[in-house]
Amino acid sequence: MKKVLTYLLAVVLGVACCFTFIGCGKDEDRDITPQINEGQNMTATELLEKAKTESGNFVAYGNTSRITTAMSNFIASDYGKALGLTSSNAMAQKQNDSAIYKLLENEKSTPGGSDNASMVLIQDSASLMLYRNSTNLLANYVPKDMKDKVDENNQLPLAHQFINKLFMYNVKDANNTLKFTNVWELTDTKYKNNIYFKNPNNEQVNKNFLIMLTKEDWSAKLEAAYKKLHNNAAAEDVGSAKAYKNYGYKWVAEFLKNCNFSINSDTTIAQDLSKDTNAGKMGLFVLSKLRDASVKGENLQVSAWDKKAGSDTEFETIEPFAGFMYSIYAQLCTYGPRPYTAMLFVNYLMTEEGFKPWKSLGGYSSNKDVPVYEGSITTPVYFKDTGKQIFTDNNKKQLVETGKNGDKKVYTYIENGELTDKTVTEGDKITVGDKQETLSLKGVTEEVTTVKDSPLSFWNQTLVVEDGNYINTAIADHVDDWINQQISQKS
Amino acid sequence: MNDDNNVEIEREESVKAGKWLKFRFWLKRFFTNPANIILVVFFVFLAFFIFYPLITLVYDTFAVSSVTETRYGVKMGELTGLWWYRMIASEYNTMYFWKPLGNSMLMSFLASIIAILYGGIVAFFITRTNMKGKSIISMIFVFPYIMPSWTLATFWKNFWQNPDIGSGTGGMVYNLTGLKVPEGMVYGLVPCAIVLGLHYAPFAYILIGGILRNMDANLEEAATILHASRFKIVRRITLPIVLPALMSTFLLVFSSSMSAYAVPQYLGSGRFYVLTTYMKSFLNQGYYGQGYIMGLVMILFGVAILVANQYVTGKRKSFTTVSGKSGQVSYINLGKAKWVVSVILIVLSIFFAVMPLITFALESCCVVAGDYSTLTLQYWISKTPTDAQNGLVGLFFEKQVWRAFGNSLLLSFLCAIIAGSSGVLIGYAVSRRRGTKLAKGVDSLAFLPYLLPSMALGGAFLTMTTIFGIGKSFFILVLVGAIKYLPMASRSGINAMLQLSGEIEEAAVIVGVPWWKRMVRIIFPIQKSTFISGYLLPFTSCMRELSLFVLLVAPSTTLMATLLDEWMLWWPQSANALNLLIIVTVLVINFAVNKLTGASIDKGVGG
Repeated sequence: MKKVLTYLLAVVLGVACCFTFIGCGKDEDRDITPQINEGQNMTATELLEKAKTESGNFVAYGNTSRITTAMSNFIASDYGKALGLTSSNAMAQKQNDSAIYKLLENEKSTPGGSDNASMVLIQDSASLMLYRNSTNLLANYVPKDMKDKVDENNQLPLAHQFINKLFMYNVKDANNTLKFTNVWELTDTKYKNNIYFKNPNNEQVNKNFLIMLTKEDWSAKLEAAYKKLHNNAAAEDVGSAKAYKNYGYKWVAEFLKNCNFSINSDTTIAQDLSKDTNAGKMGLFVLSKLRDASVKGENLQVSAWDKKAGSDTEFETIEPFAGFMYSIYAQLCTYGPRPYTAMLFVNYLMTEEGFKPWKSLGGYSSNKDVPVYEGSITTPVYFKDTGKQIFTDNNKKQLVETGKNGDKKVYTYIENGELTDKTVTEGDKITVGDKQETLSLKGVTEEVTTVKDSPLSFWNQTLVVEDGNYINTAIADHVDDWINQQISQKS
Repeated sequence: MNDDNNVEIEREESVKAGKWLKFRFWLKRFFTNPANIILVVFFVFLAFFIFYPLITLVYDTFAVSSVTETRYGVKMGELTGLWWYRMIASEYNTMYFWKPLGNSMLMSFLASIIAILYGGIVAFFITRTNMKGKSIISMIFVFPYIMPSWTLATFWKNFWQNPDIGSGTGGMVYNLTGLKVPEGMVYGLVPCAIVLGLHYAPFAYILIGGILRNMDANLEEAATILHASRFKIVRRITLPIVLPALMSTFLLVFSSSMSAYAVPQYLGSGRFYVLTTYMKSFLNQGYYGQGYIMGLVMILFGVAILVANQYVTGKRKSFTTVSGKSGQVSYINLGKAKWVVSVILIVLSIFFAVMPLITFALESCCVVAGDYSTLTLQYWISKTPTDAQNGLVGLFFEKQVWRAFGNSLLLSFLCAIIAGSSGVLIGYAVSRRRGTKLAKGVDSLAFLPYLLPSMALGGAFLTMTTIFGIGKSFFILVLVGAIKYLPMASRSGINAMLQLSGEIEEAAVIVGVPWWKRMVRIIFPIQKSTFISGYLLPFTSCMRELSLFVLLVAPSTTLMATLLDEWMLWWPQSANALNLLIIVTVLVINFAVNKLTGASIDKGVGG
């Protein structure tokens, strides 16, 4: 019996090993460069005619959940109808980057397979660069009409959209203690555990942002900002054989010490940070979360949109950056069955109609002709002389905090933009009509738009941008390991 | 001389022929026993489907299997010891490996103790005492397992947090009493262990209670007659009898806790790291070698516990508690204390089972999380897109939800049928051939899938889809789900069959009743309650499994869990509603099974 079992097990193990190594076998190569070269000179109509000759399912992967909406819109569009696309033969699926690459690697074994993906929307420029340089899984395509509308730097690989993460803080108490103009202020101990930031171990773009700050050019900017804040004095722990190689490392280490990683999603960060109970706390997260109805936008202030003291029109400049941005790229899949349909889809996504699923606050198409969403967010209005938020009372008269009487705040009424002599204390009764009511305050807010020419426009902000080459080199030099050490030392 | 040689050759040939004939007869006799057929079939099937992903896993720890890994200066496809060096011996080994390993072991050990104590004590009181409220407790005690573990973690955090820690909002305790508990009570090792213990306590409840319920009172009464104290009876009779269940529970809970991701991720707060949190991070970034090393370590721990379990249960001759002789159950009279015990257990059970559901229901109706002044039903019944500006309508009208719901239901049902039936067969065969190497082999193999990290198993099966040309079909989802959850069904089946004495079948064997009829008419009905739990556990787990299926789902086979995973990041209100739908579905199925068959997860324990 023992012998029989042994032989049986050996046979099964042998078969399992065989299948393991079959799985590692040489895959068939494929090249869709001729189709792309042809497609880059075609109009959408011409692409449509070519796409009609293709067969198989049209599958797209994306690490943005809106790709499913975009695919539905494409199916319902004239293109989709002309191609006979339905939800049965045209599908989009959300996956994270690593899963997308694994799926594409697997699909190499069945070139042109009906269920293979033909197109992806993917982020993380560093990984994308690696895969583009080392494999032929992905191919770049720039629509003919987009060559003049997309900045040349964003054409290889083709950026579909940009996303920005900005510093924002809760202004419920309107005491402006969190207004800052220099990122080095965020390393102060008063911010300990008060900066919400998604754990970089769970968000590659956050990790990329931190890695970028160790690059020499950003380190130089951080050095200048440090000296500006410290009366031109240099840091003593920066330099060779010292605690930090450069000012980038120093800022990253001290910023991470103050970060709070207890919330693992930017949506939840926005929701929690906007609660009344979180006055005096800050976050670095995606701007587009402010559009969510579950976020109390009136409690949140974007640091880069703080007005300069004494000015109604000028905004603060945060040294040396207001946050960071990253791109989501559109790429064709070499082993997909429908390259022309994929090119048509990319064409579509780059138009204003195709960009609709992302058209909201914080959504920016790389096509300059697609207008930035002219939506607005509410932001508190501050009294120019004191920088404190203006409120209205039960009679809708404007007043602003000017002092304290014991534990209670004292407010002074405003008329014609100037303080009057009339004051009232928190908890006092005031006359409303013919009744006496307890003072009730409501913050005055204004609508702020983010149109392209506005000072608040995405294109006018200084943001840290990913450099895939540097990030890959830095990871090889164990910069991300060093960052992980800073994070783990928080425990 | 030639004649002598010829005689010698003839003798050798006749000896060989004799051996071959002997082997043939042995083979024929061997396969007349249904238990042997079952064992051989499952041995081959399980060995392939377990060793294939295992070999892939081991190989990837020595190979450069993704382009991302080439960042470290190695070439794609080449063999390297770099990943092992980074984990075990480099300057980062403490951060990535040793400290998370220590945390994982401690957390799993504590969770196992908590689960066994809480589940075992409740099972004892329900099955062996005259306490009140048994039916209520039996019904709701299993809820924490039905819910995804992170729902309990969410509830724990929402209950204990205060403005000085974490997300800065006040929890229920703080809002009601102003009490601020220390951060270690909300984030870190202790809350992770407690939440996992509570989540897996139903395992102990089901497994230990199943044995206690069927235990013949004669076993204890004889000791009572001989004036043994209650403590001595528990220590010398009850505990040894339930030892297989205790070991199985420890095995299941420790392994499950070692591979738990959601709870330490949620309650770790970026300070408490375990193997799974780093493993997921590595795999998500494409560092498969380093991620799978952690997976292998978890498997090794599981195998060690499996060996220990086999050693302990192997020493015993028999764990039979159900025999051909009559059995009776006697309850310990608690006197007036029965009311106190009943109230305490009911309050605890409701608190951990029902409160999270209520919390979820309320959160799915809040525009602003935690702000009950913004209650709305739009995330459930709105026919137009909700104001979350995500294009989603209310859950009841969202087509993708119902498509995913149908897929999940069908998948869970098929996985449960296949895994559950296989578990019954394996249980029968292992118990009837107990002590043989084949039975031990199948027993061990049947449990191994539970130890394989879900993500690794899914990845291995993804490669298999290409080799066998089956694509990302529904079939592959069913196959991988059935294999992954076979351990639960097989543990259930083996435990049930170990209690059944051989004499139950003997009368039927003597009169020539075929094997299948003996299973259907005698064995299954006797242990119906425990067997059915072997079907329900895979069903429950499958409904909310994510990591296993995430690489294998195609757009046309989207599941509730994959939809939930996506929505949790972006649209928590809709996600809460979806989560509630999953939980309610499983509860309804449990209720339906109870009504149709008279048995269910909770019924098996005497409620």
